[in-house]
Amino acid sequence: MNDMNFIPLDPLLHSELRLAVMSILLDVPEADFVYLKAQTGATSGNLSVQIDKLQQAGYIEVSKGFKGKMPQTLCQITDKGRDAFAAYVNALRSYIK
Amino acid sequence: MENLSAENSLRLIAETIERSRKSIAKNSGKPLILWGCLDTITAIIIWALWSCTGSPQWNLLWFAMTVIGGIGTYFMVRNNEKVPETEVSRILGRIWLWFGIFSIGMILLVLIVAVVCTAFDIPAHIHINSGPIIMVLLGLCGTISGVVMKMKAVIASSVISTAICLIYISVIPEDSPAQVLVFAILGIFILIIPGILLQKKSR
Repeated sequence: MNDMNFIPLDPLLHSELRLAVMSILLDVPEADFVYLKAQTGATSGNLSVQIDKLQQAGYIEVSKGFKGKMPQTLCQITDKGRDAFAAYVNALRSYIK
Repeated sequence: MENLSAENSLRLIAETIERSRKSIAKNSGKPLILWGCLDTITAIIIWALWSCTGSPQWNLLWFAMTVIGGIGTYFMVRNNEKVPETEVSRILGRIWLWFGIFSIGMILLVLIVAVVCTAFDIPAHIHINSGPIIMVLLGLCGTISGVVMKMKAVIASSVISTAICLIYISVIPEDSPAQVLVFAILGIFILIIPGILLQKKSR
């Protein structure tokens, strides 16, 4: 296959942790930080940094609030994030054709 | 950029989604099993007490069952791992919540009308037996749940058990304690079996 046939990969999604976070958020209306941490096995610090990057790119929305007396951080994928994820998966397929 | 191959990326996506789905579905069948067991046990207790004493007032035990079920569900949800709500779990939750509200509301309304009619000597032209109505509602909610969960076994179990129970209550006297046994049968086929199937599917 010619190199010209490869679609460039979105560097923001081509990271193990960010990709895992986006994969989880793709499947649920919203997920809280604790759930994302448990599912990805990441440390709180690392996960916070990666969530921040995804938020700055407009791929996810983050809202902070309280559930009872406990603070809660909820993450939700945006339409832009969904489109970016679809484009990323299409790009991946061009590499394995 | 991290050293992720295309194959590894696709595998990571598939595995993460699968793991998350399993985690969300892990305890989803438990409330159905809890309510099914409560419904079946309550129906058998009411049938036994009603048969022994001849008093249909034992049907008030359904309200006690609702309270026990509500408390049990609260503690079950509180002790389970916190997982996000999916569209399917949200719809299922709403279906059964409204089934509960509608059924309890209807029973209370029928009771109030009966008490008022008796107290003021008002002739009741239509006798409403809430049992068969709740039975059909239970069957309908079970069928819709099966459709939402995409589980043909649940749809079949709900439709067939409701049809059998409809035939059963048609051939026994309306004031017979045996009428209440349909809820034991429906509890098994519409709540317990689908709950077990849901638990198995999530493993």
